[in-house]
Amino acid sequence: MKAVRAVCSCAATFFVCALAAQAQIPRDPTPVVAKTSATDLAQGKLFYEATCSKCHGLDGGGSDGPSLQGVAQQLGDDEVGKIIRGGIPGTGMNGFSMSADEAGQVVGYLRTLGSTADMEIAKGDPAKGKQVYESSGCRACHIIDGEGGGIGPELTRVGSMRGPSYFRTTLLAPGTILPKEAGAMERGRFTQYLFVHVMTKDGHSYEGTRVYEDSFTIEIKDATGKFHGFKKLDLAKLEKLPGHSVMPSFKGTLSDAQLDDLIAYLASLKGAPTP
Amino acid sequence: MKLTRMALILFALLLPAISRAQTPVPYDRIVKADSEPANWLTYGGNFFDQRFSRLKQFTPANVGGLKLAWAYQPSRPAGNVETSPIVVDGIMYVTEPPSTVTALDAHNGAKLWSWSPLLHNVVAIGLFQTNRGVAVMDNRVFVATIDAHLVALDAKSGAVLWNTVVADNKLGYAITSAPLAIDGKVLIGTGGSEAAVRGLMDGYDAKTGKRLWRIWTVPAPGEPGADTWGNSTPAGGTAWNAPAYDPKLNLVYWGTGNPAPDWNGDDRPGANLYTCSLLAIDPSDGKVKWYFQFSPHETHDWDASEPPILFDQAVDGQMRKLLGFANRNGFYYVLDRETGEFVAGMPYVKETWAKGLDAKGQPIVIPNTEPTPEGNLVFPSITGAINWTSNSYSPLTKLFYVDAREMGSYFVKGSNTHWEMGKFPMNAGGERALSGDDAYGAIRALDATTGKMKWEFRLHSPSWVGTLATAGGLVFSGSDEGDFFALDAETGKPLWEIYLGSSLRSNPATYAVDGKQYVFVTAGTTYFVFGLP
Repeated sequence: MKAVRAVCSCAATFFVCALAAQAQIPRDPTPVVAKTSATDLAQGKLFYEATCSKCHGLDGGGSDGPSLQGVAQQLGDDEVGKIIRGGIPGTGMNGFSMSADEAGQVVGYLRTLGSTADMEIAKGDPAKGKQVYESSGCRACHIIDGEGGGIGPELTRVGSMRGPSYFRTTLLAPGTILPKEAGAMERGRFTQYLFVHVMTKDGHSYEGTRVYEDSFTIEIKDATGKFHGFKKLDLAKLEKLPGHSVMPSFKGTLSDAQLDDLIAYLASLKGAPTP
Repeated sequence: MKLTRMALILFALLLPAISRAQTPVPYDRIVKADSEPANWLTYGGNFFDQRFSRLKQFTPANVGGLKLAWAYQPSRPAGNVETSPIVVDGIMYVTEPPSTVTALDAHNGAKLWSWSPLLHNVVAIGLFQTNRGVAVMDNRVFVATIDAHLVALDAKSGAVLWNTVVADNKLGYAITSAPLAIDGKVLIGTGGSEAAVRGLMDGYDAKTGKRLWRIWTVPAPGEPGADTWGNSTPAGGTAWNAPAYDPKLNLVYWGTGNPAPDWNGDDRPGANLYTCSLLAIDPSDGKVKWYFQFSPHETHDWDASEPPILFDQAVDGQMRKLLGFANRNGFYYVLDRETGEFVAGMPYVKETWAKGLDAKGQPIVIPNTEPTPEGNLVFPSITGAINWTSNSYSPLTKLFYVDAREMGSYFVKGSNTHWEMGKFPMNAGGERALSGDDAYGAIRALDATTGKMKWEFRLHSPSWVGTLATAGGLVFSGSDEGDFFALDAETGKPLWEIYLGSSLRSNPATYAVDGKQYVFVTAGTTYFVFGLP
């Protein structure tokens, strides 16, 4: 949503975009529908990597331009197709001259970006998994459809972006695979939910996930959802511990069947379709 | 009685306007800019582009007490604010994206006038639509616009005095940099290397806007230097940032950008002159006196467009006229600015593409550091160890202060070797950025004659803010997260910081009005000025 690249004239990266801005309508009104055959995805990938990735990152996580992970799931194929073909005036997002079918190939590929939704089919029972979710304390930290606690990531649409093997890894070894923030301007994407331990110069220890950091300060959110802010100059120790998490591992606490059911439930969370 | 009071009130209301009346800035005054530190008369403060102020009211002891004096917000900023102000006798001239010029009362930020060009269907390829500042000389304010015009405005009213087309914007020529005004002339270059334009440097008559000379920074086929391009048509090498000037030597020092196509150099074997080079130009006739190419046959987008800094300092016991240049390619260079001779150089960030520099300052390139179709991890990143922002030099500490960007990229080779002028290059290649956790920034103080680091202040992420050094013993800079801060110029110790809520994207500057020092910076789309209460 931010424009980008202040970089002058030279730049390599071409830039920006503002999805909130109005896409220009391409001349050809044929609606764009994601095309997902292996050939289509290969064509979409080819175009994306050669052209779009400069601004949006090879994995679609954003670079100079915003993250595109989940964008087709949120805006719909045709809306994204209009942006690809028409561009967004006043931003670095140029329109690309292509047919609706070609745009459909790109949108099809976009739908796979950032998604670890693999071909593995969740084998459990989503209804039973919902009960496991409720009885295992998950809702204390996660929000689904506006219900629950905001300590961890919201899960309303997580099934459209993540697949069973990702859920399994996260449930058994939380913190192993952490998402990256959406693309920021010229700054690289930082790991979200990074586990941090700090010790103040007067000997107090705190740990939790990083919610904000700059050159002078860091803020963390502990396992109870409480925020703690520190000036870095006041700290005796600041440790960043990838691989750790405030989320407990469910290894050994859930049976294999419960785990399968919970995974099936999470995989079923696709969110309400965008109106 | 009533009438008298009213007259007094009226007089009081008029007083600021009277006392802030614009005064002319003849060329001689700009040459001696250091003798009037209350003003900031050129892009870099003086012709040497040192961004060093002799004002010393702000000191390590009192800088912690800085408070907001005023803030200005443009009504409709269309893009990043990256302006560097000019301040003349209480009037501040700033630019707003994309190409608006605004005169502000430097006491309080009140707008005096504003001028915007009429822009239609602007072509901006490989650059962001912004503006980095104006030049001032005599009674004129000079600005270059995103659609590649050079315009002279009346400093008192903002009225257009002349408006000259520098180059055809439809071909991809676009301007974001501040012009340089010297002795009856205005110098300007353009951007557009990603649109495959042929780079140029122009000199114009300051009174009429008539072009006096033009330097093509890359040769036409058959011209001298064309043999450094194989069989390709030379393109790129744009001069898209501000030059420095030595009035005594009468030489302008101006950097050039990347060759086109960039991330694939297969069709342009050779050094590709004069891309990624520094040119020393005689502004009276536009002749190139010498050149120094930093990155021959460049394929990583490491333009040599950073503003150079001129300074005089002893090397091996002998006073030399020098030029310091922190290059986007990761090396700091010291050149003799009379001859272009290489004096010293070393990396000021992590770089993985060259073993070092040879005796002539040429890189000893490490094999297999070119972009590849899969992406080849090389440091520094595509945006470079520094980009468009300015460094500073303090003649008191003899240190060169740089906002270094510690970052790498997976460089992706493009398959398109035939970029068409004015067209967005498809399949051009570029970068895959590293994670933000694997990058950081730092304000570094380098020994100006060697590049050896004296101290650093680490930043959470690579920044886009230049540095400002002051005689009070301070270095000001900012962060991408939104901190504006002051460091001790001798030690790098942080002394003051304030969170401004949005990324800083401009070179800080300092000035004084009514005997009080202020410091200027922008964050997001707000222009901030701080002073002591």
